[in-house]
Amino acid sequence: MAASISGVLDTDLQNAVLRSKVLVVGAGGIGCEVLKNLVMTGFTDIEIIDLDTIDVSNLNRQFLFHKQHVGKSKAAVARETALKFNPDVKITHYHDSITTSDYGVSFFKKFNLVMNALDNRAARNHVNRMCLASDIPLIESGTAGYEGQVELIKKGLSQCYECTTKAPQKTYPGCTIRNTPSEPIHCIVWAKHLFNQLFGEEDPDQDVSPDTADPEAADTAGEGALQTESNDKGNVDRVSTRTWAQSSGYDAEKLFMKLFHDDIMYLLSMDNLWKKRRPPVPLIWTDLPDGVAGCSKDTVEPGLRDQRQWSIAECGSVFAQSIKSLSKELAERQKKCPSDHLIWDKDDQSAMDFVAACANIRAYIFGIAQKNRFDIKSMAGNIIPAIATTNAIIAGIVVLHAFRILLDNLKACRSVYLRSKPNHKNLLLVPEKSVNPPNPLCYVCAPTPQVTLALDTTKMTVKELEETVLKTRLNMIAPDVMIDGKGIVVISSEEGETEANNGRILEQLGIRDGTILKADDFLQNYSLTITIVQREAPAVKGQTPDFLIAADPEDLKPKEEDDGSKEPSTSNGKVEKFDQDAVVLVETEVTPQSSDADVSKKRKTVTPPPDVVNKKQRTENSNGYEDDDICIIEDSDSDMQCIYQKSVSPTKHTNKPSETKYETEAQVIPNKCMLQKHKPLLDEECLIVYDEGDETPIPPTVKQQRAE
Amino acid sequence: MMTEEMDGNIIELTDAEAELYDRQIRLWGLESQKRLRAAKILLIGLNGFGAEVAKNIILAGVKSITFLDNRELSQLDLCAQFLAPKNAIGKNRAEASLERAQTLNPMVEVAVDTESVDDKPDKFFENFDVVCASECSLTQLKRINRACRKNGVKFFAGDVWGTFGYTFADLGKHDFVEDVVQSKKIQSSEAGEPALAKVKFETITTTVKKSITFVPFETILDTCDLPRDGEPYYLLKILLNYREKHGHDPLPSERDTDSLKKEAAVIIDKYKLGDKIDHLICENLYAQISPVCAIVGGVMAQEIIKTVSQKQSPHNNLFLFNPDTMCGKILCLGQK
Ligand SMILES: [Zn+2]
Repeated sequence: MAASISGVLDTDLQNAVLRSKVLVVGAGGIGCEVLKNLVMTGFTDIEIIDLDTIDVSNLNRQFLFHKQHVGKSKAAVARETALKFNPDVKITHYHDSITTSDYGVSFFKKFNLVMNALDNRAARNHVNRMCLASDIPLIESGTAGYEGQVELIKKGLSQCYECTTKAPQKTYPGCTIRNTPSEPIHCIVWAKHLFNQLFGEEDPDQDVSPDTADPEAADTAGEGALQTESNDKGNVDRVSTRTWAQSSGYDAEKLFMKLFHDDIMYLLSMDNLWKKRRPPVPLIWTDLPDGVAGCSKDTVEPGLRDQRQWSIAECGSVFAQSIKSLSKELAERQKKCPSDHLIWDKDDQSAMDFVAACANIRAYIFGIAQKNRFDIKSMAGNIIPAIATTNAIIAGIVVLHAFRILLDNLKACRSVYLRSKPNHKNLLLVPEKSVNPPNPLCYVCAPTPQVTLALDTTKMTVKELEETVLKTRLNMIAPDVMIDGKGIVVISSEEGETEANNGRILEQLGIRDGTILKADDFLQNYSLTITIVQREAPAVKGQTPDFLIAADPEDLKPKEEDDGSKEPSTSNGKVEKFDQDAVVLVETEVTPQSSDADVSKKRKTVTPPPDVVNKKQRTENSNGYEDDDICIIEDSDSDMQCIYQKSVSPTKHTNKPSETKYETEAQVIPNKCMLQKHKPLLDEECLIVYDEGDETPIPPTVKQQRAE
Repeated sequence: MMTEEMDGNIIELTDAEAELYDRQIRLWGLESQKRLRAAKILLIGLNGFGAEVAKNIILAGVKSITFLDNRELSQLDLCAQFLAPKNAIGKNRAEASLERAQTLNPMVEVAVDTESVDDKPDKFFENFDVVCASECSLTQLKRINRACRKNGVKFFAGDVWGTFGYTFADLGKHDFVEDVVQSKKIQSSEAGEPALAKVKFETITTTVKKSITFVPFETILDTCDLPRDGEPYYLLKILLNYREKHGHDPLPSERDTDSLKKEAAVIIDKYKLGDKIDHLICENLYAQISPVCAIVGGVMAQEIIKTVSQKQSPHNNLFLFNPDTMCGKILCLGQK
């Protein structure tokens, strides 16, 4: 071990390593590599925490785990294997979530530094806040495919994890999913919703039936078609899909005919929808085509079922089989507990079969390219591919950063990016020129964090405020909220204290335009001042976001109603508003430039048209950006990824500080369906699948989009 | 049929392999995985760097890897060599690494050869698709490279000294494919209403065949014309010269002696470097340090994977990790 042999490390580093106590958060791809580096270097006191258990698909890179460990605690097995490498180290492991109250400020304060090796944004946000609250240096890292990055987070010195806007997850409007799908992903999202309707937790925002409130179809909705009344939500009133399916005994033929014939007939009756679109073609259970449409290179590979394109007839039989086994499983669970339900899991054979079959059948009906099960799994499970080499390289840099922190040389901990190809300077590992300074308007690490929150106080309930805004969007774990100056407690983290408020509309509690709320999270030691701005809710749900958040209230005013979509014109080139059907331009786009052109485009699922790219490029250059300033940060395994853009460096703006306009957040959250429960957004739970810039290898076919 | 033929073997992935390699197949594709499945690798030098390369290559799922090493495991190796257990000090490094290496992936054949590379005839290298040499002298590197060239074997070299490291590739004439993505503008005027016509863009991925010709290791050893940030090149020369002369790398016990400085002075004088590389000479360069083995070994393994799968452009030809700046730079040296 390096630190136990004099002369290997210089004396200062050797002593610092021997005396240190460090925390590794996460024992996955990066965590295993970091732990190996730590024990081999001769660190003596290491703690590691991970709530996950080992899966077969981890074994190609999480090398501390082997086949016999599948199903066991990652933290426990990582410790066990690492101890074989160096039996003299003290490793404490926790098979637990870092977000629980057991790991408060006093826990974090035990360490000289913390290393994140996480795969989801929610946990990253939380550890970020805990390290800020404890004033402990944090090394944040991530990988996606061949790329990765490492950065230091230290209160007052550097950007925090939440100083920069992370690209929002891609969501799709309900009517696209329910009425007018045009891409494979629309059918996949629909199929996952259908799974939940039939077997999972029923969610009214995941209705799969025709949406009669579709504004496009307004005039003709359902006219002369089925004699069904629609309720105000636009759902055709009837017993729930689940109840109906159960009463029919999950009969595959009946279900098929309802979903892929009757509902399609109903959609066809909404004439307006099909004036400029190819109308869908209903299918008949007893007469399914058995040829493989668009049979091309995808269809070979007799060896692997996942790689083969299924015919519609085959999809039909997979549909029937998977329904049979899923309904059986559901019945067995409900025998024990009547309210139980299934949870969709990409690694569950039947659940994945069901989604693959349904997505393909629906794609066929709408004339959309079908996909093989392998590709559908990538999209439905939001899998970000991960490999051993990238994780090893990034973990190596993490530990080199740790050396510098231990030597109190924090300024040397500049962010480092690993690129899939060398940049124009032929750099594969690209360090920043200096540590990125904090964003003075950051709603997390600023001295007095504040945001402006625009929402409809006449519509939003207290519960919605808590779940969708405070927990999901602002990432609080257990918020307490008071109306400033009035002493009225709106939300209490004490169980039962404010239960009565849950269903009440904000306005009923006296929250209106100009109201100032004080939101606190005790565990995170975090207080946020929220200024409420009244903003009328969209006429049609999902058409525009339910709420907007900005660090600077000015950001919410002029652009909001009219020209928002024209120009992604903030100083840092970020898009603050998007129309779900339009080009989604995000800062992940590494602008095509000389030798990088190939990679940069390849990794995008949506590529902005060239003119937009050029515009953005200019913006960036005017700020002194280079193509390598932008990188994707991971989620090593199979989670959504977050996107970073280098913040404006201080030297560039010291002359005219007023021009440095930081956009903390003006993100659009189209509707509730992405704002599920407050839990780390693991892939299984995140029903809508993409972060922009995702490296998920969507097959290299054609992606279409529309420019404004 | 997309069955892959390499060395006359038809390789099909099994369901177990598809499951194990799922995440990487999603990155580099089924074809690459099948090519990996056929590749035979020779790894010379089971030090900390070698252990990292071995780990990554075995996890990736090659057909076989042979560890060639006649050295004994030392206390110093334990700074980074995680494949060999502590109680194996004094035993052959390749043998000591076998068990843990095999556990990483039972589907890969891991073999051990305890002879010296000097005892191997040129024909020996023909048995492999890839040779990766570490902890070899300049004389050995030149000779192995020559033997590989002669037999059309892909040659790699790499090393780590403390916090510094490099990788090198001579792939002869290397053919590979690369995905090129283009954005194309299409006009679609639907239903004959030009006012409603939308400009659409589609991205099309095409696979392009490419070829690069590499140069042997000895041609990069006398370069005067270095690009910016190229200083670690001189450090590489100093350390290789040191090894050639002393038969081993600088030891921690020599940290405060002049032996490395003497070797450095020769290069500093020859290239008139002044104090330009003094900060690099002062780095920790004694024994291999685990995180740096991970970085350089990770880059090396990824290059081997890339080469074997014949997908994407390999680095041509020298990668240098600068321990001071954490820059990882590719230098294309020795080109005619
Ligand atoms: Zn911040």
